[in-house]
Amino acid sequence: MSAGPCLVLAVVSAWWTVGALAGNGLWPPDEVTLPEAVATRNNAEAVRLIEKGANPNLPGYVRDGLITNGYAVTVKPIEAAVGAQRADSLRMLLDNGASIDQEELTVLRCLERAHHDSGVSELLAAQSTSAVDCAGVRSPLERAR
Amino acid sequence: MLGTALRSPATTLAIVLAALITIPLADSLYRIPIQVSDSLEPIVIAAKYDSAQHLLRDSLTFSPTTFRPLRYLQARALLAFSQATGLTYHAVFRGLHVVLLLMLIALFVAAVRVRNWPDFVAFTVAFPVLIGIHTFLSMLLEAFPVNHFAQVGVCAMGVFVLAQRQSRWFVPIAACLLLALSLSVIESGVMVWVTVICCAAAGLPGINRTTVVATTVVLAGYLLLRHMLGISSPGIGGHGSGFGDRFYSPEELTQRFGAHPLGFMLYNVIGGLASLLFAEPRQGVYSLLGAWRQGEIHPVVLINVISSSATTALLVWYAAARLPRSRSAWSDADRTFVAACLAFIVNAAFNAVYIKDEIMSPAGLFYAVATFVAVRAVIDAPPTRTVSATALATCFLVTIAALWTFRVVGGHYQLRYHAFTTRNDWVDVLRPDKHDAWPENPTELAVTQRIRAEAIGRRTTSPSFMPRWSDRYWVE
Repeated sequence: MSAGPCLVLAVVSAWWTVGALAGNGLWPPDEVTLPEAVATRNNAEAVRLIEKGANPNLPGYVRDGLITNGYAVTVKPIEAAVGAQRADSLRMLLDNGASIDQEELTVLRCLERAHHDSGVSELLAAQSTSAVDCAGVRSPLERAR
Repeated sequence: MLGTALRSPATTLAIVLAALITIPLADSLYRIPIQVSDSLEPIVIAAKYDSAQHLLRDSLTFSPTTFRPLRYLQARALLAFSQATGLTYHAVFRGLHVVLLLMLIALFVAAVRVRNWPDFVAFTVAFPVLIGIHTFLSMLLEAFPVNHFAQVGVCAMGVFVLAQRQSRWFVPIAACLLLALSLSVIESGVMVWVTVICCAAAGLPGINRTTVVATTVVLAGYLLLRHMLGISSPGIGGHGSGFGDRFYSPEELTQRFGAHPLGFMLYNVIGGLASLLFAEPRQGVYSLLGAWRQGEIHPVVLINVISSSATTALLVWYAAARLPRSRSAWSDADRTFVAACLAFIVNAAFNAVYIKDEIMSPAGLFYAVATFVAVRAVIDAPPTRTVSATALATCFLVTIAALWTFRVVGGHYQLRYHAFTTRNDWVDVLRPDKHDAWPENPTELAVTQRIRAEAIGRRTTSPSFMPRWSDRYWVE
């Protein structure tokens, strides 16, 4: 009987090996969009996608549970970074061709107010320090509801 | 081993079982990119030198407290191998980590020598201990270009396996070569000499007086060479370490213990041994103490402490039951047990200056060997014992086996997590907004760019897509 756990592990391991050979296996890398990579702090995957041609300024699908609860959303990568409170992801996107116009900056600063992160705040402040009025500005995380 | 395997189905099955479990573990290990920390620097240094001789000569002065001449030479050899074969750096460097893992597993199988079905049952308990213990995982996570702690483990286990067999003419030569190899990659290589001495003290047949003398001469030569090169030993404050329920930086350690280090060193040695036997403390920090104060304990701590403590209790039972007899009455298994226990006890002394799981990695290998012997003895216990005692012993072994098996799966999780964070580390290397900080040396730049591209090009699993409860059950 005491051999049981190890035998089970061996069978499961064999299953993982067969799965890996078939491109699946134990915890395989997920196919993600650029905003999803950013939302899951997977900066390396985001860089890979950008290097393969993904546009860092185009909105993309983010599945339920990553930056929203109960619904999926379509947002720009930079909005995903602010929504996920990831200053490192935001900086990485800015380094890799993401741009922020004045209208987008207002949206992002208002989003940052709702999902406060000092690092994100600092990076956005570097774009503009003028006061921002969030009245009537809709969060990008709410758009697809 | 293969000859035995053909004779005994139990041996064959043990090898098959080890292979089935090791293959996905090797896969998880291979998925980790070449690390930025501790790997990139030695690789680019090795690449920049015009000759191996110059590299060897200069590497002796790289650090005032370490003497690791093969560290850079091995990296250089792997770079040359990659160039000659056209393989990626990842395939060559990470492939070698996998080879070392396979060698460790093979040596463990050789050390426990499964010959019959009771041996096989003991193997199914001891094998998860080998690969599930935190020291083994720490060894796998090692960031050096070539895994030095795994090399020491292979050399120490190699000597151990030789010691178990009848003495042959080549054993002293092999032991000296293994010792010299391990000493030239990291100071923990002394464990090979410790293993020789412990095997001799336990009376294992493969180690004779010649082997003991020869390896001691090699060690003395190494120490003399260090002295002649002016290489000192690291003191308190060279590395951060835990004390009580918190981790201290090197500066804090110097301030607190620098003037009177003996008490702290004793704490470290005892803590190192306790870490192996009871899974607490980790890096010198007692999580249980912190959990007691905060009123919250993570399941991972309980699982690790219970599984390790129960296994240690088994070892204590074996020692109490079998070893009080005279040394001449000891069986081969007794001698293997004693040699393994002595080796892991002495290994704890290496933690004197700071505690690190990797330092105890050879000890973890010997702990698993001792577990095999003890479990085998439980299975072999006198047939006169009662049904309830048999049922209790079975429940005990099943519980231990289940907990250790759970820890093995946690190892996969931590390896995947490490692959994810290591790959992300490369995003901060050669940042587009810090072009002025890029290496000016074209060779260094080319090697860095290539490793970075390989690391980022290999997809890893994000922890966001792994089970959310995993951290609480598998990560301390």
